Amino acid sequence: MSIRTETPTRPRIGSDAAPILSFDNVCKRYGSLDALAGVTFQVNRGEVVCLIGPSGSGKSTLLRCANALESIDSGRVLMDGRDVHDRRTDARNLRRRMGMVFQNFELFPHLTVLRNVAVGPTTVLRMPAAGAAARAMELLRKVGLGDKAAQYPAALSGGQQQRVAIARALAMQPDVMLFDEPTSALDPETIGEVLSVMKRLADEGMTMVVVTHEMDFAKRVGNWIVVFDHGKVVEQGPPRQVFEEPTIQRTRDFLSHLGWHGESLAASDLLVPAPSGSYEHRTSD
Amino acid sequence: MTLDWSVVWDNRWRLIAGAEMTILLTAITMMLALPGGLILALLRLSPLRAVRSATTWFVEFFRATPLILQIYWMFYVLPAAFDIRLSEFATALLGLTLNVSSFNSETFRAGIQSIRPGQWNAGLALGMSKPQVMRKIILPQATVRVLPALASTWVSLFKDTSLVSIIAVADLSYVALKIRSETYRVLEVLTAMAALYCLMGYPQAKLVDWLHRRLKVTE
Repeated sequence: MSIRTETPTRPRIGSDAAPILSFDNVCKRYGSLDALAGVTFQVNRGEVVCLIGPSGSGKSTLLRCANALESIDSGRVLMDGRDVHDRRTDARNLRRRMGMVFQNFELFPHLTVLRNVAVGPTTVLRMPAAGAAARAMELLRKVGLGDKAAQYPAALSGGQQQRVAIARALAMQPDVMLFDEPTSALDPETIGEVLSVMKRLADEGMTMVVVTHEMDFAKRVGNWIVVFDHGKVVEQGPPRQVFEEPTIQRTRDFLSHLGWHGESLAASDLLVPAPSGSYEHRTSD
Repeated sequence: MTLDWSVVWDNRWRLIAGAEMTILLTAITMMLALPGGLILALLRLSPLRAVRSATTWFVEFFRATPLILQIYWMFYVLPAAFDIRLSEFATALLGLTLNVSSFNSETFRAGIQSIRPGQWNAGLALGMSKPQVMRKIILPQATVRVLPALASTWVSLFKDTSLVSIIAVADLSYVALKIRSETYRVLEVLTAMAALYCLMGYPQAKLVDWLHRRLKVTE
């Protein structure tokens, strides 16, 4: 495995069409705490937008506001032009177009791995059981877990469970995938397999919003980085700018706190072997 | 003091018929009180305040008053005040079912609330409606979790059916006490009654223990 000296970052995808997801001055209070104090940014189709920042800075809250698992106090969230929090909007219709992956996986422990992935299509899309099972199997193979279909989640490692959770969200064929710190609850040795799956998704053109502390991933895979602090966006921009020439002191503090020195992305977690030979890993040359 | 056990043997068929009635009452009551308890639990979790508080009053009434009073009340007050005439058996069944449904509803409610909120979010995020999440995700997990508690209620119910003897339903207690008053063989008849209850109750209690061990919650 060779070591990269220079990391190519992905450009922001300019788009003539309206953004698939946009946040416009979103505010959310918990009692006297401003969880979100006027958050504005947008996600274009096919982009990977990474939300970074200290714990408690509002990143995860924002993600839950994106698919209306939480209400907002003011501002607007538009999904494909429709106001997510409008009373007249059918939140369920929008939610099924936004796949969500949780920090703690939240697999359904009473269902087999296959049923975990198939339950969305059968319940929400009214798909026939056989078709849903076939789709689920295909997705499980894609995340390298075809051989675990008949197991229950408890028998899987954390990394495997999170890959099942990704397959479960993909089964709804969403337009956007929301990742809420998908690797924070994982053992270090299984983080790589989850990030690999996510990188492959990004390569396939999936639109993704990723709350993460994995700076390597954010820099390599992200098209756009949004830095949160105290419920506000303190900086946003392409990865090279945010990571290498952060304009805001708060960003610099945060990155240096994580031990980030703006260079050498060499021994990345992304370079671990692919799970169960499902797909090729792209290592640098 | 001489013991005459022949009185038990001579009345064996009556005692067995009484035991059958006890089992029948227990089984039918539980069959009705499981869905009954579930419905009450769901009503108590309703978003509508009026529904919630009405159900709460209902449940708390049946949990806070003695079963013997409830059975008497239905036996005397229903016909007198509301002109509702039920057979003794139906009255007993109604009283037991309402009582046990109330207890079961608390069990179900605790089970439902013990499922972590993340499971709700996971279901909702897939686009499921709240009833769908409840049916497909929450209830299956909650039910397994409360099975030991429901089984304990079953065993209590099995013993509490003896109270219906006060309105002349011919369960094991009623029959045994009747034989006692016919023969004056107090010691033999009550000992036989104890033995029969124990014979039937012990395996049930063991089953509950087994369920508790088997389904111990692990997260």
